[in-house]
Amino acid sequence: MTTEDIRTTDSGRALLPTATPARTRAAVRELLRPQRGLAFAGFGLMVVATAVGLLTQPLLGHIVDVVTEHRSPDALTLPVVALAGVAVVQGVTTALGMSLVSRLGETALARLRELFVERALSLPLDRIEKAGSGDLNSRVTRDVSRVADAVRGALPELARSALSIVLTLGALALLDWRFLLAALIAVPVQAHTARWYVRNAVPLYAKERIATGTQQQQLLDTIGGARTVRAYRLQKGHTRQVTERSRAAVELTMSGVRLMLRFYSRLHIAEYLGLSAVLVTGFLLVRDGSASVGTATAAALYFHSLFGPVNTALVLLDDAQSATAGLARLVGVVDEPAPVAAARADDRTTAAGPPSVTLTGVSHAYVAGRPVLHDVDLEIRPKERVALVGTTGAGKTTLAKLVAGLHRPQAGRIDVGGEEPDEAGQLVGLVTQEVHVFAGPLVDDLRLARPDAHIEELREALETVGALGWAEALPEGLDTVVGDGGHRLTADRAQQLALARLLLADPPVVVLDEATAEAGSSGARQLDEAAEQALRGRTALVVAHRLSQAASADRVVVLSDGRVVENGTHDELLAARGQYAALWQAWSDSRSSSTP
Amino acid sequence: MGAGELSGRDVLARSVKGQLRRVALGSALGCVHQLGEALVPVLIGVVIDQAVAGQDAGRLALWLGVLALMYVTLSWSFRLGAKAGERGAEEAAHTLRLAIVGRVLDARGGAEDGRLPGELANVATEDAKRVGAVNMALMSGIWAIAGVAVSAVALLLISVTLGLIVLLGTPVLLWLGHLLSKPLERRSEAEQDRAAHASGVAADLVAGLRVLKGLGAQQAAVERYRRTSRISLAATLRSARAESWQTGLVLALTGGFIALIALVGGRLALNGSLTLGQLVSAVGLALFLLGPLETFAWVNAELAQGRASAARVAEVLAAGPAVVDGDDPVAEPVRGDLRLRGVRLGGLDGLDLDLRAGQLTGIAVTDPAGAEALLRCLGRETDPESGSVELDGVPLTRLDPTGLRAAVLVAAHDAALFEGSLAANVTPEEESSSGADGDRPLTERAMAAARADEVAESLPYGTDTGVGEGGRSLSGGQRQRVLLARALRAGAPVLVVHDPTTAVDTVTEARIAEGLREFRQGRTTIVVTNSPALLAVTDHVILLDAGRVGAEGTHADLVRTDATYRTAVLA
Repeated sequence: MTTEDIRTTDSGRALLPTATPARTRAAVRELLRPQRGLAFAGFGLMVVATAVGLLTQPLLGHIVDVVTEHRSPDALTLPVVALAGVAVVQGVTTALGMSLVSRLGETALARLRELFVERALSLPLDRIEKAGSGDLNSRVTRDVSRVADAVRGALPELARSALSIVLTLGALALLDWRFLLAALIAVPVQAHTARWYVRNAVPLYAKERIATGTQQQQLLDTIGGARTVRAYRLQKGHTRQVTERSRAAVELTMSGVRLMLRFYSRLHIAEYLGLSAVLVTGFLLVRDGSASVGTATAAALYFHSLFGPVNTALVLLDDAQSATAGLARLVGVVDEPAPVAAARADDRTTAAGPPSVTLTGVSHAYVAGRPVLHDVDLEIRPKERVALVGTTGAGKTTLAKLVAGLHRPQAGRIDVGGEEPDEAGQLVGLVTQEVHVFAGPLVDDLRLARPDAHIEELREALETVGALGWAEALPEGLDTVVGDGGHRLTADRAQQLALARLLLADPPVVVLDEATAEAGSSGARQLDEAAEQALRGRTALVVAHRLSQAASADRVVVLSDGRVVENGTHDELLAARGQYAALWQAWSDSRSSSTP
Repeated sequence: MGAGELSGRDVLARSVKGQLRRVALGSALGCVHQLGEALVPVLIGVVIDQAVAGQDAGRLALWLGVLALMYVTLSWSFRLGAKAGERGAEEAAHTLRLAIVGRVLDARGGAEDGRLPGELANVATEDAKRVGAVNMALMSGIWAIAGVAVSAVALLLISVTLGLIVLLGTPVLLWLGHLLSKPLERRSEAEQDRAAHASGVAADLVAGLRVLKGLGAQQAAVERYRRTSRISLAATLRSARAESWQTGLVLALTGGFIALIALVGGRLALNGSLTLGQLVSAVGLALFLLGPLETFAWVNAELAQGRASAARVAEVLAAGPAVVDGDDPVAEPVRGDLRLRGVRLGGLDGLDLDLRAGQLTGIAVTDPAGAEALLRCLGRETDPESGSVELDGVPLTRLDPTGLRAAVLVAAHDAALFEGSLAANVTPEEESSSGADGDRPLTERAMAAARADEVAESLPYGTDTGVGEGGRSLSGGQRQRVLLARALRAGAPVLVVHDPTTAVDTVTEARIAEGLREFRQGRTTIVVTNSPALLAVTDHVILLDAGRVGAEGTHADLVRTDATYRTAVLA
């Protein structure tokens, strides 16, 4: 079952692919290519800024020389004015350069995240499910923000530091190549330290992130379940778990701190070695007359001014590393092949009215060898409403997903008005008990289903599902921000919203999978009425939760262990005295238990 | 804990006091480090002056030795000091985190009212961390003061004029930079908020992927995301530009300041009141001084954040309890008579109710709010606004809430499952007293009664299968059966269950009803539900209508005689 690019974890999940380093680099180049001019201008300005800034030390050195040579105070004017000029030019060029560099990075990042979202939304659902929904979610949240942070913070800083280092070393060489040689004494120590750090830090931080995540999860679990914890008096166990997880996170953070501090200690050694070497070189060069005291001063100041950028660059290596890993995971998804769009006539004639749905010999299994559906034949005539009934695990939801085109059957054929349903199709609308309220104004949530809908159409849809009343009573009416971070809707209101979206999307065929089941036993009737409205005039397959839904359907299909065992109208099936009749008996018995 | 009056300031003070030894140690060592850092440029000046300019090899060796000693000292003092500080910050946060969780789980409740779990978890992580970080900020502040003091002394010793220029000029410089960049900063913050929006929208769309696919609305979503992303990009670019100019401004100001020092220092050196080395040192010190002064700004921001976080933490810790504290233990053995008199709360309007010991009572409602209020009263999540609830003749308010919950278990409709195996969820207390083999038949019976054994059979590892975070890897019907098994397994003398089978199919529901009845034979059991399958197996049914008892009798009688009941139950 596994293809080469699918990594299988020990939990048996096939994670979404991660791009190779070469492919990641290529993707970055592609993203940057349209803005080559911007890139050159930005980096050019940064080089100018850094180079101009490096004039500071020689100018200070020059002042030292003026002092050593006891010249007149007027000789100070020129270098001082030059210093002020350097400050202004450096400030302006840095500002312009950094603006351009961040424009470059941010534009590329925006394009990347757009490509990512576009591809992520078109990934086949079973592909995402195999990877676990956490995989895609962590990419879109953590990886995107990690890359964004790097582009925003680390990248400009790293560029500036790297330029400072390179140009400062160049400037040292200009003073005298022997100064450069002396300064480079620090490099092996720094390089070794950086390698040592990255080697230890990467796994440690990965562990720390996991521990922090586990702690967060534990807290959500415990706090979210506080009522349950109290009811069952589980305080001791939960407190112990929270303590353990928090302790683990603290200790890993401290390991990280210790590592970081050892890292700084080693950098201190490098600083000392380099500084001493430069000072000794200055001493020697002044002795043999090849450098002035001012030059020696400038060299020492140069080296001292390297401390900052070197530390910054080495510390940022870590961020850069984790951003690269995030980037590879994003590019991996962007590079997933787009699902082959079935060549089909887009100019579908809806005028012909709702189509029929035909299933011929449909079988399906999620795990090889454990089939969920066996050889199902079923026809739903135009505008007919078919209720699907059966015990939990009979395969109702799977059948619903197949008809909606979310999965492709492994054998057999599904035909909706002459086409095979697929995920992208507007042919079949599916509403399940999984509710999601999209964050943002309520009107935007509804317009996902019909982007060009007029406000009156939205109101009408809400009215039809009986939601207009409460929607208008929201703090800002239909413009109220709902969903994550906004006004929270109860489960049955969210479900009404889902039905309103369905009305707006206006698909000719509708599949409802227990779309009204989650409401408590008293809120259900209202939802059933809303569903009733949403189904009017469409070909419909309804996975029935309450048998009253089955009774009101045109036809009832009973599914058992993945097979259609009964098929007929409510009355026919009752008369047949089979499974459905037994189910109905149990259902209506409880409703009129007085029968002796 | 928290006698009502706890303020954010108390939380901060307590957090620092708890780590006082570490903070003191860290501060002392940090001061040594600052001294060292400040003296590095001074030593560079000395080496140039005495060894390089004077060409004295002996002095060169001597001063390089001193420099080495300095480096060893500053390096170690930094390492140990920072470690003490970070440890202090982390430990303080850890202590606070446990205190918050302790308060939330407190038997009297009340801390989580009006707060989302995610919000509270955030208080326990992010806010606790920020309060802890105040320890580190405080230390850094002390270090910075030490750094400024050392530089001040060194500069004044070198030259009073130059020292004063640097000491007075640096704060002015920083203040100027701050003043000029303030509007930029403010704009940048607003823009950053807008920029962060794009990531939020992306995550939200991915979370709702299934819904999008169900509607075939992916294309609309992609187009919407592209617009959001472009708006965010524009905001980010404005913000980045503001930040760039801020950086440029600070660079220009600093450079100008160095030029000024060079001018004054050069003149002083030329007229002989300053040696060459002193001039070099002064320039170095001026540059060094920017560090500690910037630290002050950082410490200030950190303290402000710490204060805001401490206020949020204090709010949770000082939250009033939801129910009154009683101390009386529950009298053993529990008979299981529940009596409500004139109870007013939420949907209940002066409810009088007698729930007889040893019976299986069904409670049907015309308004879900009534059921919710009744459950909250019995589980002592809230006390009634007026009226009383008694267990075996003793008002619940006199009883210790923990003891009461051992006697009266309320199994809520939306009770939580916890990450872990199915078995661990059904027998949660077993964790502490493992090896209670005698209870295994009990667990198995409870699982069978709730038909949770069938759930276990359908899972890959049976009862050892993990249920995922919040039990989310189970379907609605599976969850409910596990919840019910746990409630039955707990074996409380009085059990109240609410809507235990709304997501279960009809056949299974009927079997569960039988299982429930059999399992709880002879013990007080109350089922709050409108499901006829469950009501049919009860001994007695009470209909709550308009917050009072509307009708009473057996399910069969009520179906026959009461129209309101029929509408409520047989919809």
